[in-house]
Amino acid sequence: MSNKIGVFVCHCGINIASTVDVKQLVEYSKKLDGVVISKDYKYMCSDVGGNIIKESIKKHKLDGVVIACCSPRMHEHTFRGVVEAGGVNAFNLEIANIREQCSWAHDDKNRATEKAKALVRGAVSKAKLLEPLEKSKIQITQKALVIGGGIAGIQAALDLAEEGHKVYLVEKTPSIGGRMAQLDKTFPTLDCSGCILTPKMMEVKNHPNIDLLTYSEIQSVEGSIGNYNIKIKKKAKYVDIDKCTGCGDCVEACRMKGHVTSEFDEGIGKRSAIYIPFPQAIPLKCTIDKESCLMLTRGKCGTRPLCVDACEANAIDFKQKDEIVEIKVGAIVVATGYDVLDPSSLYEYGYQHSKDVITSLQMERLISTSGPTSGEILRPSNGEKPKSITYILCVGSRDENECPWCCRIGCMSALKHVYLLKEKLGDEVEINICYTDIRSFGKGYEEFYRKIRGMNTNFFRGRPSEVRNFGDYMTIDIFDTTTNKLFEINTDLVVLVPALVPRMDADEFARKLRISQSGDGFLLEAHPKLRPMDTFTGGIFIAGCCQAPKDIQDSVAQASGAAARAANILSKKELEAEPLISFVDEDFCSGCSTCISVCAYNAIELVKGEDGKQLAKVNEALCMGCGSCVASCPSGAMQQKGFKDKQLTPMIEETI
Amino acid sequence: MGDLKMKKYALYPGCIMPTEQYAYEMSIREIMPLLDIELIELKGFSCCGEPIKSVNQMLTLSLSARNIAIAEKEGQDIFAPCPMCHLALSECKKVLDTDTEMNKRVNNYIAEEGLKYTGTAEIVSILDLLHDKIGIDKIKSKIKNPVKNLKVATHYGCHLIRPSEIGRPDDAENPQKMENILKIIGAKPEYYPEKLDCCGALLNANLPESALTKTGQKLQRVQEQKFDVFIDTCPWCHRQYDSKQTKAGETVATKLEVPVLYLTQIIGISMGIENEKLGLNLNLSPVDKLNIWGK
Amino acid sequence: MLIGEFEFMSITDLTSMSKSQIEIRKEINQRLQKLQDEISDYCYQCAKCTSGCEAHKLLELEPHKIVALLKRGLIDEMINSDVIWTCMSCFKCRERCPQKVAPVEILFALKNMAVASGKQIPGNYTAMLQSVLSIGLLQDIKSVTTKNNKTVNRSDLKLPEISKPTDPNKFRMMLSKIAVEKI
Repeated sequence: MSNKIGVFVCHCGINIASTVDVKQLVEYSKKLDGVVISKDYKYMCSDVGGNIIKESIKKHKLDGVVIACCSPRMHEHTFRGVVEAGGVNAFNLEIANIREQCSWAHDDKNRATEKAKALVRGAVSKAKLLEPLEKSKIQITQKALVIGGGIAGIQAALDLAEEGHKVYLVEKTPSIGGRMAQLDKTFPTLDCSGCILTPKMMEVKNHPNIDLLTYSEIQSVEGSIGNYNIKIKKKAKYVDIDKCTGCGDCVEACRMKGHVTSEFDEGIGKRSAIYIPFPQAIPLKCTIDKESCLMLTRGKCGTRPLCVDACEANAIDFKQKDEIVEIKVGAIVVATGYDVLDPSSLYEYGYQHSKDVITSLQMERLISTSGPTSGEILRPSNGEKPKSITYILCVGSRDENECPWCCRIGCMSALKHVYLLKEKLGDEVEINICYTDIRSFGKGYEEFYRKIRGMNTNFFRGRPSEVRNFGDYMTIDIFDTTTNKLFEINTDLVVLVPALVPRMDADEFARKLRISQSGDGFLLEAHPKLRPMDTFTGGIFIAGCCQAPKDIQDSVAQASGAAARAANILSKKELEAEPLISFVDEDFCSGCSTCISVCAYNAIELVKGEDGKQLAKVNEALCMGCGSCVASCPSGAMQQKGFKDKQLTPMIEETI
Repeated sequence: MGDLKMKKYALYPGCIMPTEQYAYEMSIREIMPLLDIELIELKGFSCCGEPIKSVNQMLTLSLSARNIAIAEKEGQDIFAPCPMCHLALSECKKVLDTDTEMNKRVNNYIAEEGLKYTGTAEIVSILDLLHDKIGIDKIKSKIKNPVKNLKVATHYGCHLIRPSEIGRPDDAENPQKMENILKIIGAKPEYYPEKLDCCGALLNANLPESALTKTGQKLQRVQEQKFDVFIDTCPWCHRQYDSKQTKAGETVATKLEVPVLYLTQIIGISMGIENEKLGLNLNLSPVDKLNIWGK
Repeated sequence: MLIGEFEFMSITDLTSMSKSQIEIRKEINQRLQKLQDEISDYCYQCAKCTSGCEAHKLLELEPHKIVALLKRGLIDEMINSDVIWTCMSCFKCRERCPQKVAPVEILFALKNMAVASGKQIPGNYTAMLQSVLSIGLLQDIKSVTTKNNKTVNRSDLKLPEISKPTDPNKFRMMLSKIAVEKI
């Protein structure tokens, strides 16, 4: 409560003064109840203006300040600083906007001045009721969690670790590496993907600040910015990783060898029940897949499990159990990546009808030396070299019935394949590309496209309606809009370049972390242009394809950005929390949860009060002070500090 | 015996089936009572309007609406054996149920005959009647003479399965309901790449040669792939594939000898109904080639 | 905008010297919006429709071109052509279009417009229309030949009497009122 208020009127050059009679306003303010002093100045936001305020506070022992000036969006922060420096609590300040809401909106000097008087009158009455507020301090756990061990997660983890922060890197599969590990070469430089990825993977393994948890999943996330409590489920590998040398003898010996569909090979290769996902896996340890292991599903494997016999290190442990690990971190970077659309939903392209219709990611595995055919391009149906390979781009992309968005990398990866296929199969192999647009937008991309145009590639501008399978070969009719002719392509291997989609469990995952998703299911950035790594949840950042499809360099850039954003928090020991937040008057709260449903920051939760009643509770660290909950609360239990009903009501009455 | 309820449907015959494709109507009238379906005869039906959509789509909507209204007046659901009629009635229903302005306009027209479209009638095709309403199990229980090992090429046609956005009786890209029924009666339906190709019937109005060429091309491929029988379920398609098979063969310079049967005919055969009652002597394709009592 | 003899800011197709028929295009889009809840604007000419068009191989119908001409507003060119009558309404274009454009429905609209503008209706359509007007059906009961060369018709096969409009006059009245209506 303030009894001695100072009113300071700014001219803002001629912005205010040419329409509002500032001298009259000052005289009027002096007569208001509670006002001790009123001054004006040309530019109140300047050093001189600030000094006027500070000196007035000292001289007249003011305990509340009203500044009649421009919008609070402009200088509220500045003025809070001035007021505090003068010795008054920063939140005993009320701003009357007599520029945007008065002088800039009206022409009539008399009426504008009267309106300005009304605005100041209202501001003064509120200022009398303002309470001093303290910015509370939150202690921060100076550790980070990175979820996802693909290139984005690896980059973010390394950046944070290099800054000196302890990082937990959690990866769902048995090894880090992600999609990049599945690729042979990257566009447009044709770098060997493994060669540029594995050094980073080794860095992660060796970095003293990084705690790597593979074959692990996030169970629960609680807490808020600066203080997250995370439960992680370390799935049982059924292998003692301290004993396992990664020699791979068990893999060779496994009774299920060649029978289990390999996820790493995108379903066109087979593995054993005990496996290392790929030769450069980090950690280089074996994992037993409990769904396909005979011992774990049936209780017996022939007469004896062959892996146990083969293992010289005696590392197999069928009794191993899942383990729950609890960690505390101050910030989280999410880099969980993408999935590829299953082209079965575009039945007309024959993905379900023929083994020789594959996805571009499956083709990556065929091209890879670590793949099911050791890098030889062979038709899945008969193991022979194809004579003609046809690519169909935009399968499920830019499609209102499937994924309306562009996959961003389809064009470039198809062009890359042309190069690699011609290299492996010789120039005589016929390669057809059916495209709608070629999007070669990045640095070096257009040059690469030009190179492929010069490599005897058949480009057809159009989209086939269907792929007809005749057993030994397939026929594709395509209308080529460049020549206006219908072509019949007889081909023996068809590659569909499918849309990139959010991970299958993205919905559940987003709910777990209380972060939002955009309409397409990818994780939602706080602002598409200015805050592409932030989420609406404080302390959680996103990077890579989990936010939207992108290529490797953009993923890496975004990962470093997200790491920097996270480091912003972790570099401090404490954070100041915004004090103009909402709070619940427990006497009036009925636990109806209306506030929870409108809160964009997931800052309110339902708790049990002392008498067992359900009550809403505001998490002070997460609340952004937007006021939606206050507006929606049917009982008036939800109030906002600095904007309480009992502070606003007199202001309204006085203004009118 | 238990509770035997005959489900009733007003039979909406369209134009081609009652004036020319008699075998379809005969086989339907034979098998439906055995599957506990009672067909109600209503007076006053007219063309559904779909074949003249090119001339005036408003006419089509109004003609379809009046036919639905006639059934609604008697409190009946509609069974439309012709897929083209089924599409016309279904699309009319979708438009009039969602667009209040159109609903008012069309109802204004048909009020001339004292009719009103109310949207209460369900519109059912031959495929969902057999597969979903009657059900595979019931059909199975009535089989007396399973057709053994016939390699069947199914022809769904276009209007039965497309456009899927208004809701059609089967999937537009991978329809399987005919296959499911045929398997129950002992046949061996097989996939072939030309399965979803059009018969060309609608071109009969202005480009009959081209229509026959489309028909001939598909039958030629069916013949090449050594199918025993070609099963269709639309009077327009059947007219092309069966009644005009020889002419179609001429357009593609091939002697076509593919037995073509209505789905309801082959079901009737497996239920032990006499050939003549199923209109088998009206099929102009070589159906007597079929050794349907077992190979 | 006319200044003297010149028109400024216009688009002219130099092959036919015709201009965009913006009003008619709007009309057609409104009709498409009303009946199918989509318009032609979203087409990005991937030509998936033409690649799979049942009428294309035989009769050179290019559904994507129809959509492109509509977007350009060159309607008369299409209304006066024969090619719009080659569509066999298989609906594959509508089914498979990634932007929910329906060339088949655009063709129906164009055909309707051709008829309404007094152009001669090709083939049998007139006869079918006349038959519907007079007896309510596309054709009257036919006699068919069996395999053993017998001639039979509906009553020979003991099928019940055919269903026809009960009051042909009222029916005809209703149809003639509709015949002059546009969607």
